[in-house]
Amino acid sequence: MFVAPNLAAVAVFMLFPLGFSLYMSFQKWDLFTPPEFVGLANFKQLFTADPLFPIALRNTVIFTIGTLVPTLLISLIVAAALNRKLKGISIFRTAIFLPLAVSAVVMAVVWQFLFNTNNGLLNIMLGWIGLGPVPWLIDPNWAMVSLCLVSAWKSVPFATVVLLAAMQGVPETLYQAAKIDGAGAVRRLFFITLPLIRGAVSFVVVISIINAFQAFDQVYVLTGGHGGPETGTYVLGIMLFQHAFAFLEFGYASALAWVMFAILVVLTAVQLRLARRNALEY
Amino acid sequence: MSSHIARVVRHSIVRSAVLYSALIAMAWCALFPILWGLSGSLKSQAEISAPNLLPTRPQWSNYADVFALMPFGRMFVNTVLYAGCVTAGQVFFCSLAGYAFARLEFRGRETSFVLYLATLMVPLTVTVIPQFILMRTFGWTDTPWAMIVPGLFGTAFGTYLMRQFFRTLPTDLEKAAIIDGCSPWQIYWKILLPHTKPAVMVLAVLTWVSVWNDFLWPLVMIQRDSIATLNLGLVRLGGQYVADWPVLMAASMLILLPLVVIYVVAQRAFVSGIVLTGFGGR
Repeated sequence: MFVAPNLAAVAVFMLFPLGFSLYMSFQKWDLFTPPEFVGLANFKQLFTADPLFPIALRNTVIFTIGTLVPTLLISLIVAAALNRKLKGISIFRTAIFLPLAVSAVVMAVVWQFLFNTNNGLLNIMLGWIGLGPVPWLIDPNWAMVSLCLVSAWKSVPFATVVLLAAMQGVPETLYQAAKIDGAGAVRRLFFITLPLIRGAVSFVVVISIINAFQAFDQVYVLTGGHGGPETGTYVLGIMLFQHAFAFLEFGYASALAWVMFAILVVLTAVQLRLARRNALEY
Repeated sequence: MSSHIARVVRHSIVRSAVLYSALIAMAWCALFPILWGLSGSLKSQAEISAPNLLPTRPQWSNYADVFALMPFGRMFVNTVLYAGCVTAGQVFFCSLAGYAFARLEFRGRETSFVLYLATLMVPLTVTVIPQFILMRTFGWTDTPWAMIVPGLFGTAFGTYLMRQFFRTLPTDLEKAAIIDGCSPWQIYWKILLPHTKPAVMVLAVLTWVSVWNDFLWPLVMIQRDSIATLNLGLVRLGGQYVADWPVLMAASMLILLPLVVIYVVAQRAFVSGIVLTGFGGR
């Protein structure tokens, strides 16, 4: 009885859409004419006839790696620095975690201001050290760099929170023993902390991949909703949105959604298997 | 001996100086884009491309301009209404179902719970299109219902969170009540719920922030300005007044401010929620 509202809501807003989406991926449907069964034609078009799909896939992979790698490296360093008993450390934690509260939209608008080519702060600062203006959001390649930069800025605090929580669970005695054996801070990080927080690292990797693969909000706002300039930031999230809500190709967009889902399931499974195989027991 | 102590003391002073400088640099990187946005929101159009962080004469009129150029107050009320309704619904239905899954015996309890949790793996990418069509079938597109109802009846994540918390409460709490013949509803509402404040806090904060920051769903569902959310309003403002940075930054700061307040007040709930769920990785 008490779980009925939740289960009913899940059936209506989750299970039914899931099935309906799969059904739609085999249809050709624009909402206004009746759906027409086309078999695997949507998938066939996606993999063989749509020149934009390989571009979107490539951009998404670049974006995922370009966000994940810096996020992981930076957040490990930041978490290690925050994992100290120092006076005022909680103030630093509050400050460093603050971007968690910022919405992707607001963040993208603020970064547009920083990236502005003619008079944005980043180019002014590059000018001080004698570097010419960088066409941050105007050149397709630089736009991808900008996008990764913004996303990394946003996801570092999240990763830091998770890694810090794991680091706080590492027993102090291990560090003391290592210190007596003469291990420095860097070696303690690599040989004690990292192996022991492997679970948290793998959690961050999985969540980051899932999020980066479906990135939409910050891309839409930062580069104007069309994945531009040219196809510089045309990622799968933008492609899905355009086909569904701009071109009203609901069947084709659903097929794309299921392909993305399948890729995510495979990536997550591979990652979890790798994490399990490397798991160490202390 | 004393020179040895002096060396150790000097060494530790140098070490903490290095550590504090590193922490200050990290906090600066995290906060700077927001501070620069705040600074831009108080500058005049003439000063906007100057690299000084402190505006020479703060232009508070930029904030008045936000209210003149977009129905900010209206959108603020809308966003509070959506976030408030969804948060109240989440807390109520998730705690109710969490209680049932943790404490009541009923057929298929474990199976339905596992299936319920499995829906967490379905990405938004797959459900957004069929949910849109569902809303359209109900005639709810471009109405507040579309913003409120889908999230109202609880989510798997919230139910999981509450169930885990109910399981940590000692069963002695309700034993006396069961002997006295209290119904499960009375036990839930009068005895157990008041003890779940920390978990309710986590759930409420995360729900509020995710509704406040949501973008894709309102973008797809809502056309009219009179029922739009703040993020939607900001993006439309950016489309109309391209490069009017002072006003855009002022609007961004106004949207950000309530969340920063919530974050500072409820930081503990925020952070523990992230560790539990991976929320906020986007």
